[in-house]
Amino acid sequence: MTRITIDGRDLEVEPGTTVLDAVRALGGSVPTLCFDERQAPFGACRVCLVGADGAPGPIPACTTPCRDGMVIDTHDETARRVATAVVELVLSELPEPPAEHTELAAVARALDVGEPRWPGAQHDGDHDERHPYLAFQHELCISCGRCVRACEEVQGAFALTATGRGFTANVAAGLDAGFLDSACVSCGACADTCPTDAITELSLLTPVHPRPA
Amino acid sequence: MPYQSPRRPGSNNLVELVRRHHAEGAPTALQVLKDAMERRGEITDDDRRVAAERSRMPEAAVHGVSTFYDDLLAPRGERHVRVCTGTACFAATGGAHVDRLGDGLGLQLGERRADRSVSLAETVCLGFCHSAPAVRDGDTIDAGPGVVDRVLADQARPALEPQWRSVLGEPVLIRPGDWSGLTRALRELTPEALLDDVKAANVRGRGGAGFPAGSKWELARKAAGEQKFIVANGDEGDPGSYIDKYLMERNPALLLEGMALAGYAVGADHGFVLCRSEYPLSKPALEAAVERAHADGLLGVDILGSGFSFDITIVEGAGSYVVGEETALLACLQGLRGTVSARPPYPAQHGVHGLPTVVNNVETLCNIPFVALRGAEAYQALSPGATAGSKLVCFNERFQRPGIHEVRFGTTTRALCEDLGGGLIDGRSIKAVQIGGPLGGILPASQLDTPFDFDELAAVGCMVGHGGIVAFDDETNMRDVARHLLRFGAHESCGKCFPCRIGLRRAHEMFAAEARVDRERLEALLETLELGSLCAHGGGMPAPIRSLLTHFTDELELA
Repeated sequence: MTRITIDGRDLEVEPGTTVLDAVRALGGSVPTLCFDERQAPFGACRVCLVGADGAPGPIPACTTPCRDGMVIDTHDETARRVATAVVELVLSELPEPPAEHTELAAVARALDVGEPRWPGAQHDGDHDERHPYLAFQHELCISCGRCVRACEEVQGAFALTATGRGFTANVAAGLDAGFLDSACVSCGACADTCPTDAITELSLLTPVHPRPA
Repeated sequence: MPYQSPRRPGSNNLVELVRRHHAEGAPTALQVLKDAMERRGEITDDDRRVAAERSRMPEAAVHGVSTFYDDLLAPRGERHVRVCTGTACFAATGGAHVDRLGDGLGLQLGERRADRSVSLAETVCLGFCHSAPAVRDGDTIDAGPGVVDRVLADQARPALEPQWRSVLGEPVLIRPGDWSGLTRALRELTPEALLDDVKAANVRGRGGAGFPAGSKWELARKAAGEQKFIVANGDEGDPGSYIDKYLMERNPALLLEGMALAGYAVGADHGFVLCRSEYPLSKPALEAAVERAHADGLLGVDILGSGFSFDITIVEGAGSYVVGEETALLACLQGLRGTVSARPPYPAQHGVHGLPTVVNNVETLCNIPFVALRGAEAYQALSPGATAGSKLVCFNERFQRPGIHEVRFGTTTRALCEDLGGGLIDGRSIKAVQIGGPLGGILPASQLDTPFDFDELAAVGCMVGHGGIVAFDDETNMRDVARHLLRFGAHESCGKCFPCRIGLRRAHEMFAAEARVDRERLEALLETLELGSLCAHGGGMPAPIRSLLTHFTDELELA
C-alpha cells in the first residue's frame, strides 16, 4: 500500500496511482492542459507541476506515480511560477488570445497569467473548413496531443498525427489534406477534447472566429 | 479502501501496431521513407501512401514521421551538398563557411536548384570536428582548410580520419575487440555473476547522464517477460563529439561483444544498434562486423556451444538530435516520430515493441568486455580515486593535436587540453571550452584546472557529457556562441513539451535580434526551461547560457 500526503492531508492509494489522480481524489485541483482523463497521461504541457519534498525541482503530477511517504505541495511557489511561465509562453505563440470559454483561457485565468514577457513568432493562419462537421484552425493548435490521442486511443481511427518538430510542431489529419481526405470517421472526439478551439465541431458550436466568406 | 485510479488505455497503440507488423516482416515507415528520399530526392504523398501500405501504418502516422526528420525534409538534387553547422565547425569559422558555400552554390540552406542539379542542406554534425569545417558532397566528406573552395570546384576529397591513442599502458576502449570477455563469461560466469561484476565495477553511462549501467540491467533482468532487447545508443548527436563514430567504425567488434554480454546478463536474445545517418560509414562497418561474428560463431544460435543465443540488427536514424534521448531513440528505432516520452514507464520495463529493453550508450557497452574479462577491481583501478574505468575524449580542430584520446577520470581539464591536445593552433589561446556537447556548461580558461570527472565538473556548472571538448579561441565572440547554441537547441527541439518547444525558440529570438537581451527575462526563461522541460534537451540547453552569463557577462550585450 502506498501512503501519500498532499497539502497536509494523507491518502492511501493503489500502486501505480499518479499524483494527479491522488490530488483529485482528495477533491483538490492542479491546472492541466495536455491531460484528458480518458487518455493515458502524456506529460507535454508541464502545467501540472507540483512541489515534492526531497525532489530537486517541481514534478509533473500527471505522469509521476505516487511513492510511499511522498509529500506533495500543490501550491509550491517554484512549481506555480514555472507553470505560469509555460502558459505565458503558450499565449505568446497564438495570434490572438484564446476564446473565453476554452480550457486554455480558464487555465490562464486560474494562474493569473499576465502579458507575455517573451513575445516572438506566432503561428500563421491555416484553416481546414472543407469538412461538414469539423473545422481546424491550425494557428490555434498548441500541440498538446489530446486530439491525436483521442483519435488513436479512444476512437482507434488513427486519422490524426503530430507533425513537424520544435516551434513548428502542429497536428494534421491524414496526409495534411484535411479531415475530409483522411481516415476521419467524424466522431468529434478531437473537437471534444481540444482545449483551444483549434478543432471545433461545426454543427454544435457557433465558430468563435468568423469564417472567411 | 485505498483510492484506485480510473483505468486508462495505454498510449502505445502505434507501438503495438509496429510490434505486430515487425513480427510479420514489414519494414518500418521510416525505412521506406528513407529509401524513397535516397531514390528520388524528395518525398511526395504517393511515397507516403506507399510507406503506409508497406509498413502497414496509418497514413497520418507516416505523414507525421515524414515531417520530423531532417533527412526527409530538405529536397535533394543530383548532387546533394550538406554543410556541417556543428559547434566545432562554428568554432573554426564563426559560421563563415556556411555563408561562403551558400553564396558559391547560389543556394540557401534547404534549397535545390530548379533544374534539380544541386541542392544544399545543413547537417549537425558530421563528426569531423578534428578537421573542421566539414562538408559532405554526395558520399564524400571533406573537411579542413580549403574545403569550401574544393567543394565549389567540384573537387571534394575524403578528409583524413583522426588519430586515436590511449594514456593507459593497456588500452581498454581502443584495443581491437577480440571477444575474449564474452568467451570468458560464457565459460566461467553465470549471467547473475556477470551482472554482479558490472554492478561492482560501477560502470557509469558514458552517454551523458552517468546512470549506472548495472542498475539498468538489473531492472530489465527482473522485468517480467520472455523476450527482452539490448539497444546500443549510437546516436552521438553532440556537435563536437566523434567518439562513438570511431568506436562503431573502427572497433565495431568491441561494441557487439559488449552488447552480447549485456544480453547474456539480462536474458535478452536480440540487440539493435541505432547509428546516425550523418555517419555514413557506421552502418556498413557494423553490419560487416556482425557478419564476421556470425562466421566466427560469436553471434547467432548457441554461441561457442554455451546454449546462449544472441543476434544484432543495425538501424540507421534520419537526422534528429533528440533521438539520442532513450525514449526518443526507441521511437526512432521503431520507425516512429523521434519524440520524447515521459518516464515511467522506463525502457527497462517498456522498450522496443513494449518489451523490457536495456538502452546503453555505445561507449558504455564498449567498457563491458574489459569488466567481463578482468573483473570489477581491475576496472576500478583504471582511474584511481575517481570514477571507475577510462573515458574517451576528443578535441576539435582548434587544438594542435585534435583526435581521440583514452584518458583516466580525474585528470585536470588543463592537462587534457595542454598535454594531450597540445594547446591551440595559430598561436591562439583558449578562451573557454565546452565539454560534453551542447547541453554542457562552458568552462572559462580560468577554471581549466577543474578535474575531468562527473562531480567536479558539475560543481562548476559543466558536465562530462559524452566527452567532446570544443575549444573557443580568444577571437571568439561569446554572444555569437550563445546564438549558435540556441539556434541549434530550437531547431532540434522535438516539439513535445511546451517549455522546450516554445522556450528555446524564444531564447534564440532574444539573441538573434540586434537588441540587448533583458537579463531578468532571460533568466526567468532559463528557469522555465530547466525546471519545466520533459527531457535533458530543454532542461540542459540553459547550462551553457548560464555559464556565459557568469563568465562573459560583458560580451552578451545584456540590458
